[in-house]
Amino acid sequence: MRLLGQIATRLISYVLVIAFGLTVVFFVPRFAPNDPVEAMLAKVSSQGAYMDAAQSDALRASLTDAFGLQGSLLTQYWNFVKRIVLTGDFGPSLAMYPTPVSQLIAQALPWTFGLLLTSTLIAWVLGNFVGLLAGWRPNRVSSRIMEGLAIIVYPIPYYILALVLSILFSYIWPIFPLTASVHGAPWTFAFIKSVVWNSILPALSIVLVVFGWWVISVKAQTTQLAEEEFSRYARLKGLPDRRILTRYILPNAILPQITFLALQIGLMFNGSIVTEILFEYPGLGHLIYMAVIQGDYNLLMGTISLSIIAVATATMIIDLIYPLLDPRIRAR
Amino acid sequence: MIELKNVRAGYGTPDAFVAAVDDVTLTVNDNEILGIAGESGCGKSTLMRTLYGDFSGGLKMAGGKVTGRFTDPETGRTTESDAARFQDLWWDVMSYVPQGSMSVLNPIMKIEKQIVDALPKREKKGGKAELRQRIIEFLAGFGLPETVLDSYPHQLSGGMRQRVLVAIAAFVRPRLILADEPTTALDVVVQKRILLMLVEIQRRLKNTLVLVSHDLGVHYQMTDRIAIAYAGKIVEVGPTAEVFENPRHPYTEALIGALPRVGQKGERVGLEGRPPSLASPPDGCRFAPRCPQAQAICRQASPPLAEKAPNHASACHFR
Repeated sequence: MRLLGQIATRLISYVLVIAFGLTVVFFVPRFAPNDPVEAMLAKVSSQGAYMDAAQSDALRASLTDAFGLQGSLLTQYWNFVKRIVLTGDFGPSLAMYPTPVSQLIAQALPWTFGLLLTSTLIAWVLGNFVGLLAGWRPNRVSSRIMEGLAIIVYPIPYYILALVLSILFSYIWPIFPLTASVHGAPWTFAFIKSVVWNSILPALSIVLVVFGWWVISVKAQTTQLAEEEFSRYARLKGLPDRRILTRYILPNAILPQITFLALQIGLMFNGSIVTEILFEYPGLGHLIYMAVIQGDYNLLMGTISLSIIAVATATMIIDLIYPLLDPRIRAR
Repeated sequence: MIELKNVRAGYGTPDAFVAAVDDVTLTVNDNEILGIAGESGCGKSTLMRTLYGDFSGGLKMAGGKVTGRFTDPETGRTTESDAARFQDLWWDVMSYVPQGSMSVLNPIMKIEKQIVDALPKREKKGGKAELRQRIIEFLAGFGLPETVLDSYPHQLSGGMRQRVLVAIAAFVRPRLILADEPTTALDVVVQKRILLMLVEIQRRLKNTLVLVSHDLGVHYQMTDRIAIAYAGKIVEVGPTAEVFENPRHPYTEALIGALPRVGQKGERVGLEGRPPSLASPPDGCRFAPRCPQAQAICRQASPPLAEKAPNHASACHFR
């Protein structure tokens, strides 16, 4: 009963967080100085179409309607909430009118996920493995080299690292493409091959940067746990080192790392804006960037709402499953 | 039986070696409870680790010899080894009871697993279910319910955790159990229970129990023999009752003299000063700077630990 109560409380706070987030997402762009309707009108007239005042008023009215901008802010807000809750529809993109926002997101999502999920998981597994060994035997030469590498790479600003990689491997030694360009019909072998080929450099840049963080954090954990009394006691019980490492230290060290991983996966719905811009990668980050540049309210709201929901969901899931991983948190 | 001969053990490099155990000769007999007493920093924990063969964290033996000879009462087989290879005997021939604290047991592992994972192969022959049954019966003997096995450490009280630690050490029927301040963090009621448990185990297994404690009361009640450590040396060793009745070394005398007695009025007399630094111990007797009976010779020559009465040795020039 107590457990059910805890889950219910957690679910309520989940809904509240999302509601608050969506509210902020709705209001902030409306206080921005650019007016998407006027921008669209300017775009139309700049393309050479001539409109008299009546025509342009009519167009303005129909655009305002289509963009969901008619009525007071409160009416707009009410319509926005109704639409999202009932249909998950964020309306049409303003810049790429009339393509629906949901369709744009659906197109970008697999790209971002393919790239970020793979690289995050690789970095996580590799970083934790290396960090664990480095923390367990901190005086070994290999441990020192790995830790040194992590410490050197970790503080390099991401955009510099990505630029350097891109210059090295696309320009000086051009083995990878500079910008993503995909060939072949969807889901053929040639297509998948070219996707993978295009993703290696951005993935490598992400792995390198995140790897350092995992190494450093798990190494600190491991060193501390290795000095814990239970590690010493396990050793005095005559357990072999390997067993102490895998049964006593690893399960304790990995707990905070799982929390971080879940948060990272939630944040993936943001895309990785810098990566995607630098490598011209057609993912969510790129989409968010375009939305900001073009004052595309709907697209911006759509992408940001998605990432709010994703992070809230990830934290909720981790909160709900954490007691299964750590008995100390289990409801008694 | 374990014999220590002129053992020098400590930390650091050969150039800057701090001997926490300095030239100690001591015999730990079969079927006895030996107490090691002394204040913090006297080297009793290092002595304990040397006895157990736990050379980690920079502890090194710089001289002397530690040999062990253990006879299995069931098979009659004798195992001989020296401290450098005691590791192979851990949780088989010898086991260890740590000072109880919240973090001695792995916080996210069930108790059963933490008992089982230390066991030697011979205990696991009968299969999992049989082993669990035996563990349940064994724990029941110490008033621990079956539910303990499926609990995590944080679900047990401090006393229960300590009883679990004693049980883990005793389950393998070792010839030697080392207990390092096993009751220090517990209240007196629980303390008594743990100590009785240790004594009972020793009487049943007829093995050796070495008990390290700074609490002389504990030694008086439990141990057959007691060794008093001061500044890295054993200054007195003998049958416990005899040592308490008739202490030879002035340090022992001062320790016992400082114990409160029922009905006695007035303040207890303490010793002036503090123990010397082990990094640069004084010449001669290490207790001399604080000794009320010290004379010129005490500051020049270090007195050897010599038998002054049957089985009762002290390291003092005069007594």
